[in-house]
Amino acid sequence: MSSQNKNSLSELFGMLFGKHWPVWVGGILLGLLNILLFAIKSPWGASGGITNLGDNLYSLFGMFPGKEVTAVTASNYGMLVVLIVFGSLAGALFSKEFALRVPPKGEMIKGFIGGALMAVGATVGIGCSIGSFFSGVPALSGGALVFSFAMFAGVIVSLKYLIWEMEKFPKWSTGKSYTFLAAAPEKGRWQIIAGIIVLIFVILIAYTYTDTNPVMSWFIIIATLMGLISQRSRFCIVKSFRDPFMSGESHGTVGVIAGLAVSLVGFTAIKYFSIGDISEVSQRARELTWVFPNFWGKALAGGFIFGLGMTVAGGCAVGTLWRVGEGQIKLWFSLLGLVLFSPISNEYIVPFADGILPQSARFRSFLPDYIGYDGAFLLIALILIVWYVFVKWNERTGKFSAF
Amino acid sequence: MTLDCKGLSCPMPMLKITKTMKSLNTGDVLEILGTDPGTKTDLPSWCAKNGHELLETTDLEGGVNRMVVRKG
Repeated sequence: MSSQNKNSLSELFGMLFGKHWPVWVGGILLGLLNILLFAIKSPWGASGGITNLGDNLYSLFGMFPGKEVTAVTASNYGMLVVLIVFGSLAGALFSKEFALRVPPKGEMIKGFIGGALMAVGATVGIGCSIGSFFSGVPALSGGALVFSFAMFAGVIVSLKYLIWEMEKFPKWSTGKSYTFLAAAPEKGRWQIIAGIIVLIFVILIAYTYTDTNPVMSWFIIIATLMGLISQRSRFCIVKSFRDPFMSGESHGTVGVIAGLAVSLVGFTAIKYFSIGDISEVSQRARELTWVFPNFWGKALAGGFIFGLGMTVAGGCAVGTLWRVGEGQIKLWFSLLGLVLFSPISNEYIVPFADGILPQSARFRSFLPDYIGYDGAFLLIALILIVWYVFVKWNERTGKFSAF
Repeated sequence: MTLDCKGLSCPMPMLKITKTMKSLNTGDVLEILGTDPGTKTDLPSWCAKNGHELLETTDLEGGVNRMVVRKG
């Protein structure tokens, strides 16, 4: 390879991994990949995959006998969750940002509690910050809109708690912390080599499925890209909801709005024209993809609890996964809380919620059924525009920010 | 004055930085030690928005970032 080509390649590498990407770049890329996932099978989701991991863990110990459990390696969404972590790990290694960061004890406890709350919220609300928000809203689901507003309320309450805790009990977030395996400045070449090994490993896993399950191969590649993109752009739903009311910053929110806008166009087209594999499913089922029976009671309760949890944890569903790959131990505890409590909530809390909520508070609400495709599209586009104008105005004036 | 944010992840470093800055006088300098890569991205825009001056960002041994801010 000529030295000029080598220079061009190292320039490209430096551009991708030297600095963080703007969140809107990450949002648009994630929106496009989400459309691709939907075209291949169904949109992005995280809580289903996390529950699958939990089910597999419990079945290893013989718990919940009689329950049919799909192996992680056979579950599209289980593998999606695992490979987002690997994608983020690759991104962190390439940018020499990987390190095992052990926070003070209180933070790890908060991570676990946040994860457990997210598990309850996602199972009751049928979806998480991805399934019932980042994918659910562009899927034209009425339940996703309720989930999103409830999640927002949960974030505000939880943010107030964090500020109160910092004032009254600052010791909970101070204390001994440790960092391992960090790259030394101007060195740390081993991280780049490790990143290449991770990528080769992922490609090999994807390759093993090409003959038997090509959908899985695509899920593996897309999940890896999603993890890498999220880590490089620090894409996080909790940041998008929280920061305008904390520091007043809007860049995280703009990134999420960009991703939602791209997905809205793609998802509407897929549903309207029934694009994708409809041989196995009816046209109506394609329309109702990611429109969960959670309108309005389950979405309200689940969204609020999920919002509480993700703010305490400091990472939404995807924010938790990519921070796990980056080596943030607090979020390892959040993932543990999510994995351990999702099956428990499905077994005990969801049946209770279903028992007290009438059918009229937990049905599928597909917005085009009420206001047509054009009305539903315009309604969501309008919400996104109002949200954008609000966070930009608030960033300028600081009217609603805590500091 | 030094603020130790090592081991903390988003949003704790920014919450602690904001709280500490409130207690300082204009012109005071705050040294922040942290390990969350996100703070390196969040801090410059936060400083610009709030009129503070980011004097220095350095990577130290052990994955620690040193950031120095003068209150505006």
